[in-house]
Amino acid sequence: MSSVESAPEISSRIIAVLGNPNVGKTTLFNRIAGIRAKTSNFPGTTQDARHAECCGAMLIDLPGIYSLDLDVSESVVCRQVLDGDLAPAGVDAHVPNAILVVIDATNLMRNMTIVAEAIAKRLPMVVAVNMMDLAKRRGIHIDLERFGECIGCTVVGCSGKTGEGVDELMQALDSATIPDRSAPTELDAIEAWGDDIYSLVAAARETPVNDRLTDRLDRTFTHPLLGVVTFAVVMTGLFWVIFKLAAIPMDLIDAWFGTLGGWVAGLLPEGPISGLLVDGIIAGIGGTVIFLPQIVLLFFLLALLEGTGYLARASFVIDRVLRPFGMSGHAFVPLLSSHACAIPGIMAARSVPDPKDRLATILVAPFMSCSARIPVYVLLTVILFPDSPGMQAIAFTSCYVIGVLAGLFSSLIVRRTILRGPSRPMAMELPSYRFPDLKAASMLTYDRAMMFLRKAGTLIVAISIVLWWLGAYPNSGSPIDPPVDATPEQVELLTAKAQAKNSFLGRIGDTIQPVFEPLGYDRQLTIGVLASFAAREVFVSTMAVQVVGSDDAEDDSVLASIANATRDDGTPVFTRATSWSLLVYYILAMLCLPTLVVTAKEAGGWRWAWLQLGWMTLLAYSGALIAYQAVSLLS
Amino acid sequence: MIDHTQSNAHANGSIPLTQLTRGQSGRVQIDGAATDEIKMLRAMGLRPNASITMCRLGEPCIISLSGACGGGCRIGLAKEIAGRVMINVERQSETQPDGQSNG
Repeated sequence: MSSVESAPEISSRIIAVLGNPNVGKTTLFNRIAGIRAKTSNFPGTTQDARHAECCGAMLIDLPGIYSLDLDVSESVVCRQVLDGDLAPAGVDAHVPNAILVVIDATNLMRNMTIVAEAIAKRLPMVVAVNMMDLAKRRGIHIDLERFGECIGCTVVGCSGKTGEGVDELMQALDSATIPDRSAPTELDAIEAWGDDIYSLVAAARETPVNDRLTDRLDRTFTHPLLGVVTFAVVMTGLFWVIFKLAAIPMDLIDAWFGTLGGWVAGLLPEGPISGLLVDGIIAGIGGTVIFLPQIVLLFFLLALLEGTGYLARASFVIDRVLRPFGMSGHAFVPLLSSHACAIPGIMAARSVPDPKDRLATILVAPFMSCSARIPVYVLLTVILFPDSPGMQAIAFTSCYVIGVLAGLFSSLIVRRTILRGPSRPMAMELPSYRFPDLKAASMLTYDRAMMFLRKAGTLIVAISIVLWWLGAYPNSGSPIDPPVDATPEQVELLTAKAQAKNSFLGRIGDTIQPVFEPLGYDRQLTIGVLASFAAREVFVSTMAVQVVGSDDAEDDSVLASIANATRDDGTPVFTRATSWSLLVYYILAMLCLPTLVVTAKEAGGWRWAWLQLGWMTLLAYSGALIAYQAVSLLS
Repeated sequence: MIDHTQSNAHANGSIPLTQLTRGQSGRVQIDGAATDEIKMLRAMGLRPNASITMCRLGEPCIISLSGACGGGCRIGLAKEIAGRVMINVERQSETQPDGQSNG
C-alpha cells in the first residue's frame, strides 16, 4: 500500500515524527520545518505540539518517548496521535499518513523498541538514523540498506545538525510504504529482535564510553555540597543576567508605551474613547509587553543551559531537596521560572513526568516571588525600614524565602491529602555535555514568547479594560472642595481621588472592606488589593491614584506620599502592623487572575485553579492576620 | 531486574546496582514481572544483559550503558531505584573511569 492510497487529501496528510528523547528529533524537525514550525497544544493535555506544513504534509513533532507502551503522559499523547484520536489544536485529527521514526545512530539497539512499536502500527513509515556524523566519529558503522531490508521499510542516514541526508529523507517520506516485515509486540521478543537486527547491521567498538571529563563534571555537578554550590552560582548568574539585561528593554518598552499613550491622548478629545484607548488598552498591552524581555531572556538562557546538559544534573541535586516535600527534581525548572513570572513557570511544569508531581508543582508555583511582586516589596520594605538599607535587603530576601517555604509546606500538605502517593524517584538519561544549539534555543524562545503574548497578553488586556471601566465609571463628575490656593495640578489630583472613591471599584472597596478590617486595611488599601487581582504590580499605581491622585508611582515623592497617606479619619494608612500584614499578604496571596487561568488550563480543570486560589488566600489571610495582631500587640 | 527479595538475588550471584564500586562493570539481570518501572528502565536501555559501568555512587547513582548499546549513554538513577536494579558483576576494573585507583 502506498502512502498516496492512505492519503486521499494531500492537504490533510499528516506525518508523525516519533522517537526517543535525546536523539536529536527536534533538531531534525527544526532543520526540516525551519521558521514554518508552530507551537500549540494537544487539546485536553499539557503537552506542547510543534507542527509545520512541509511539502504538502503536516509534520507533527511528537513528545520524545522511550516506548509507546508506558503509562506516562507523553506516551499516551503519542498513542492517541498514532491512533488518529488526537492532533495539535487547529489540525484535523486522523490516523497519520506516515510515521517518521527518528533514531540515534550512536544508540541504535535501545532505539529498536520504538521502531518495533512503530512497525506494529501498520502505517507507512520511514526510519531516520540521525547523528550519523557523531556515529562515524565514534567508529560506529551502520549498514543502512541491510537495516532497511531487516525492518521492511526505507532507512535514511542523516544529521539534523549538519543537514546531511535531509533531502533524501523528504523524498523517502513522499513514497513511504507500510513495512513489508512485521515486528514482535512482546517486550522480551522486541529486545531479542532488536539484538538480532543490531548484530546484522551495526559494527561498533565494544569499548564503553569512558569520558574522564564527563565523569569529573558529573561528580562535581551532582556532589552533595559542590553540586549545591555550583547550582547556586549558576542560578545567581542566570538571574543576575536576566534582571540586569531585561531592565534596559523593559525601560524602553515602558517609555515607548508612555509616549504612545501621551500621543493618543493628545490626538483624541478627552472622553470615554480616549480613556479606553489610553488607560485601558494601551496601558494593558504595555503592562503585559513590559514583562516580555524577562520571559524571553529566561527561556533563552534556560534553553542554552539545557543544551549544555547541565540542567539534567541540576535536577538530581534539587531532587534531594524537593522529594521530602512531595515534588521531584523535575519541578526545579518550573519553580525557578516562577521567580520571573508564574505563568511560564506553570507552563514549564509540562516537563514533570509524574501527573501528581506535576499538579503539585503547578499548585505551588505562584508561591515563588515573581517579578510583579517586586514593586510591592520595595514599597513596603521602605515603609517598614525607612532609614536602614541593610534591614530593607534582609526583609526583601526574607520575602523570597517565605515564598519558597510556603510552597514547600503547601506541597507537603497537598501530597499527603488530595494528591497522596510517593513522589516518583528520578530515572533520567544524562545527555552528553556539549555546546548549546543557538538556533534551537532561539526557536524555543520565540515559541514561548508568542505563547506568552497570546495567552497572558489577551487576558491581561481584557482584565485591564474591565478594571479601567470599573475605576473610571460612573463618571459622575464628583464634586470637590479644593482649597482656595490650590494649584490646577492639585485640583486635578483631588478630582481623580474623588473619582476613584465614587467609582464602581471604590464602591466595591467600601462593600468588601469589612472582610479586610481584621488585617488592618481601610477602604483605600482594600481597593489596592482588589485591583491587584489583575496583576500584583497594579497595587502601587492603584494606591498612588487612591492616596495621591497620580498614577506616576515611579516618582519618589509619590512613594513618599503613599507612605504618609492618611485614612478618611486622618490616621496613617500604613502603620507598622498594617505594613507587615500587607507584606505577608502579598508574599502568600494568589493575586493574579492570568496565573489562575493558566493553572486551570495546565492542570486540566478549574477545580485546581479554585483550590489554588482558596488555599493561597487562606494562607495569606491567616498569615496577614497573625502578623497584624502580633505586631499590634508588640507595639 | 527489580527484586524485592535481595537475599535470593545474592544467592543467584547478582548484587544490587548500589553495591557496585566506581568503575566496576556488570550486566543487568531481569527478574520479576514487567511493572511500569521495569518497562521504563528497559525502554531506557537497562534491559536484560545490558552492559553497564558504575560512574558515580550515591544519590544520584550514575551509570554508563555501553557496548551492546553501540555507543553508550549515561543514566542517572535515584538511589531508591538503583537499589532495586540487580547486576551480575562482570569484572572488577583495575582503574576507575577517571584513571584513579579504585578503593
